Amino acid sequence: MTREKMGNILVWILIIGFGAWGLPGMLDRFANGHVDTAYGSYIPWGLWISAYIWLIGLSAGALMISVMTYVFNIEAVKKVGKMAFLVAIATLVGAMISVGLDLGHPLRAFSLILNPNLHSMMGWMAVLYSAYFVTLCVELYFAIKKEQTRGEKQKSIKRILVVLGIWSIPLAFAFHGGVGGVFANVIAKPYWHGPMLPVVFLAGAFLSGGALFATVAYIWRPNQSKEEFLKMMIFLGKTTLALLILDEILELAEVYVGTFYSAYGEGHIWQEILFGQYWYTFWIVHLLIGVLIPLFLLTAKSKSPGAIALAGLLIAGSFLAVRLNIVTPGMLDPELNGIASAWVHSKLTFIYFPSVMEWQVLLFIVAVVMAVFMIGKKVLPIYQTAGEEL
Amino acid sequence: MSKEELSRVSENLTLETDESRREFLDKFTKGVFGGLVVGGVVSVLAPVQAKAQKEGSNLNESTPFKPFVLPPEQPGEDAILRMMRDIQRALKKPIEQRHWNMVIDLRKCVGCDACSVSCAAENKLPPGVIYRPVIQQEIGSYPNVGHITLPRPCMQCDEPPCVPVCPAEATWKRPDGIVAVDYDQCIGCRYCLNACPYNARTFDFGMEYIDDTADAPQVFLGKEKAGKYETEASYEYAKEWKRKEDASPIGNARKCHFCVPRIEKGMLPECVVTCIGRATYFGDGNDPDSLVSELIALPNAFRLKEEIGTRPSVYYIK
Repeated sequence: MTREKMGNILVWILIIGFGAWGLPGMLDRFANGHVDTAYGSYIPWGLWISAYIWLIGLSAGALMISVMTYVFNIEAVKKVGKMAFLVAIATLVGAMISVGLDLGHPLRAFSLILNPNLHSMMGWMAVLYSAYFVTLCVELYFAIKKEQTRGEKQKSIKRILVVLGIWSIPLAFAFHGGVGGVFANVIAKPYWHGPMLPVVFLAGAFLSGGALFATVAYIWRPNQSKEEFLKMMIFLGKTTLALLILDEILELAEVYVGTFYSAYGEGHIWQEILFGQYWYTFWIVHLLIGVLIPLFLLTAKSKSPGAIALAGLLIAGSFLAVRLNIVTPGMLDPELNGIASAWVHSKLTFIYFPSVMEWQVLLFIVAVVMAVFMIGKKVLPIYQTAGEEL
Repeated sequence: MSKEELSRVSENLTLETDESRREFLDKFTKGVFGGLVVGGVVSVLAPVQAKAQKEGSNLNESTPFKPFVLPPEQPGEDAILRMMRDIQRALKKPIEQRHWNMVIDLRKCVGCDACSVSCAAENKLPPGVIYRPVIQQEIGSYPNVGHITLPRPCMQCDEPPCVPVCPAEATWKRPDGIVAVDYDQCIGCRYCLNACPYNARTFDFGMEYIDDTADAPQVFLGKEKAGKYETEASYEYAKEWKRKEDASPIGNARKCHFCVPRIEKGMLPECVVTCIGRATYFGDGNDPDSLVSELIALPNAFRLKEEIGTRPSVYYIK
């Protein structure tokens, strides 16, 4: 059995499994709204918002691979541009479902596209995501069209792809830096507030998206020779390694500055992240699984494509923990001491661990993301190349 | 104040409230039928109209104030009467010339929670939604301990951090100082909940007090009767809000609004009139003769988190 076939079977098993497991949660969400979630009014954002920034980050990272293909003409990734678009679209769809389900009135969100408050970074998100979705679809259309044409027409499509690719660079910086801005703007939350967060968001997005793509490209490799495949995997591995190091430098800076004073500011929030109840999210899920093991795999002398793909999967998957550690700890501090006991209710606490229903909904969303990718891969001529992609 | 005077005041208030409710229901019914006819057009124009209403920002225009008779001023009278006169004076001015302020005397607050409970009753608040909790804290270490009680309404900040973050322009600062929420436009993203440095906003999760209550009408009162409170409409922002599944204010951010419908009728906010220690004061901060203006000028008056520059409209005295 080929690797691709095995990948297909495994992913479809996961889609069915996650979908079946997640379905009760989805039904609960539609029947009872937000009642069965663990977040409340004092910790208003939880797993679904974390999943949204995780997925949108993966999308932005995958988009950057396509930019490498069509704008920077990087030889190693010349045959995977279309697949990068598909990954970006699938994860974008997941991100939108995740944030949509988090809203109190999801249908009203469509009015934001036409009538956003542009003072609000979240208002900008509605505009930017719409622009991003359209851009991705148009880019994918032209990327497919390019393979089906020859001569002058192909050259003009190439030029269109370059222009669209250039346009998508500031777009990716805007929408993902903007998501960082949604949090960084909140002066009431010292852990979020500051100019560093949008930069951290961007670095994390490119790392996690690029890492995911290394796994995807390994399993569903395009029509390429063994040398081309090795070259592609080594390039993706090196890129992931460089971004991992950059991301860790930024994290180190955050931890150092954040923990310098333990008595005030964000010091005790870092104490909570590092040594609190959910310490394992940082040390085990993020640092061990998402950093140290991938670092070992990516720096190994053998440069095995399988090791690179595994490292990519570990980074991309565990990045949800990074996003969770950005979103939820920021809200752990009461704005006024004693507020939690002033009026007692399960939705008025500063304690949060996602409920079963929240996990189920997340699994369902992941199943949808994988299904969109698998169906897209099947329906669209993602592997079709006219010999030369560039 | 004599019993006659008191009953006259309450009669005036009742008449005023009943009359306005009839007017309101009349307008509401006409609005519903009219709305059915032009529904399609209205739904398209709704965001534009909502915006225009906010830019005009005069929700008073729809409910013009009709002054009622208050007893003549007497030395030693209850502060409530003076504050009602202050409100009447303020309501005769254009909306942009008033600035509603609240002053809470922490020395008088006993932490009885009457304000929280009456607020919940006035606004028909569901479980998990609270506009004015009272924070109670012990400070110091034994044997030198003290007890603080601090009622926390919405601060109605002059620089409200919750307003610019709203992606849907569903919350805004009225010219009279109140930070309002348009429930019909709020998408329920809860960004404002995070942005508020006082935890003053809560989300309506659609919970009910009778959730998980046994339904056996022959044996107990029965879920339907017991749950009558749940279906009572609230009249926040001068509009009837009846609780139904998936309809606003369920799924919206909610907060204290200084009892807008009451003050526009010349009544004091519910928390002010139910405070057993007369610890909460309300009035027009732009009126130098009002009681709140006198209190705000006291050297021991302060605002919460002054350093972050939100300029709250709520002052405390300690």
